[in-house]
Amino acid sequence: MDKGVLTFARNNSQVDYIKQAVFLAKRVRKYLDLPTTIATDSIDYLATAYPDYEDIFDQVIELDWTNTHSLKRFYDGSISEKRLEFKNDSRCLAYDISPYDETILLDTDYIISDDTFKHCFLQELDLLLYKDAYDLANFRDYSEFEYVSDTSVDFYWATCVFFRKTKTNKIFFDLIKHIQENWSYYNAVYQINSVTYRNDHAFSVAIHIMNGYQSGNFAGYMPGKLYYTTDRDILLDLQDKRFTFLVEKQHHLGEYLAIKFENYSVHVMNKFSLERIINV
Amino acid sequence: MSKGILMVAQNSADDYVLQACLCAMSIKATNDISVSILTNDPIPDKYKDLFEHVINIPWTDSAEDENWKVQNRWKAYHVTPYNETIVMDTDMLVLQNIDSWWNFLSNYEMYFTSHVMDYRQNVINDTYYRKAFTSNKLPNVYVGIHYFKKCDFAHDFYGWLELVSNNWNLFYGHYVKENYPKRMSMDVSAAIVTKILDCESQITNAKAAFPTFTHMKPHVQGWQTVTESWQERVGVYLKPNLDLIVGNHKQDGVFHYTENNFVTNKIIKTYEEALCL
Repeated sequence: MDKGVLTFARNNSQVDYIKQAVFLAKRVRKYLDLPTTIATDSIDYLATAYPDYEDIFDQVIELDWTNTHSLKRFYDGSISEKRLEFKNDSRCLAYDISPYDETILLDTDYIISDDTFKHCFLQELDLLLYKDAYDLANFRDYSEFEYVSDTSVDFYWATCVFFRKTKTNKIFFDLIKHIQENWSYYNAVYQINSVTYRNDHAFSVAIHIMNGYQSGNFAGYMPGKLYYTTDRDILLDLQDKRFTFLVEKQHHLGEYLAIKFENYSVHVMNKFSLERIINV
Repeated sequence: MSKGILMVAQNSADDYVLQACLCAMSIKATNDISVSILTNDPIPDKYKDLFEHVINIPWTDSAEDENWKVQNRWKAYHVTPYNETIVMDTDMLVLQNIDSWWNFLSNYEMYFTSHVMDYRQNVINDTYYRKAFTSNKLPNVYVGIHYFKKCDFAHDFYGWLELVSNNWNLFYGHYVKENYPKRMSMDVSAAIVTKILDCESQITNAKAAFPTFTHMKPHVQGWQTVTESWQERVGVYLKPNLDLIVGNHKQDGVFHYTENNFVTNKIIKTYEEALCL
């Protein structure tokens, strides 16, 4: 059975997702001993910026270049923000394009620092996601990650997804495509009321439907815990698997608390500070 | 051993008999079980066959001058035609076959559920509507669905329930000193009797997943923004196959809708068509 990691990287004017994907692939090789496939709409840039990309990636899958009207606020700490393009509408293709029988689908900004995901391949369930996540700041309201909205369905994270190629998972990913294509409808019916399309929301709605419109066990849980910092925090330093973050202070805009965190993988949402660390 | 479901319905500003008819339709659609009603109000002709027994309220009508008519509910034990009875509130829909509930309940002489669910199938831990229970350390029993066998213990329990119901001010003054209810509550009265008889472990089972019901009071749905009516916050539709969807969640078990305007002509008609009434 072929096993590997798949990641999507589509740059916008200021965030270099390809750079993050390169960083991810190297750490995937180091900690999980797995190959990584990148799906991108910027192969020319990849080849130019990383001449050794064929050594870094197992496969490169070309995505069509599209302009998107989806905009999102990207913070760099609690004060600085930019509104940028957010090209996140390819993730539903993961099943169709993955070259692996068993795939771990990862966001480029997920910093692998342990081998926990190896356990995905040792268990029986064909689809795993995180339902719960742990904010390193530990004070923020995380209710938006409990349900997709106050009255709606359970929230699942699309940040890390394990899937096997099965008929049922094909249906699941086709359903995500359908939800994405009809997002305004599902956005309204599921009372999500979000201006921006989010994969987390589409995956959550699809899981709910696959569960027969109830909570259920269609999707299992990824092994370990999903730790994250939001883009209001800053990744200050990373030495192998030892992170130093500046985490925003509660009620003190622009002030931070330094924290050390090590030996676990972390979803680092502040793309700018991640890029600064990669550049070091 | 005869068994069946009994509802107590007395019309006031709200049409509880109509609610009972709808509830009976939902029972008949999912279960092969006898249903009876305790009422002094007329049953619409087309719904009469839903009930095996229509029982008049015995003795005097203790709720004659009341708007909130719960004063006769203790009489259920004395008039039930069944050896084993499940008593249900009228504002409920039975959405699944509950044969396995009967099997479970047959292990008990009386049974009250002590936990209820929200529409997303989470156990309700919020005590918004249960402050009288928590602050006075009363057993957390729900009368909305409860079960009894004809037996000495249940006879005793209902004897005490009569006493508490008829003298609720006196008993509440002693047992419910904090968060004193504005009116008589059957849940509170049953909790007091449970405490007096020290029988909580005999009539509840905190580990049992069922019997229970989905309790649609708005403040216990796990919402941050709560409205006066839960129907203002989530959509409801009943499919022709009688699947009930609330806030995109398919409901099963017993659904306690709690709001009278939930009973629309459309919902009634859907049940009538499903039952060919």
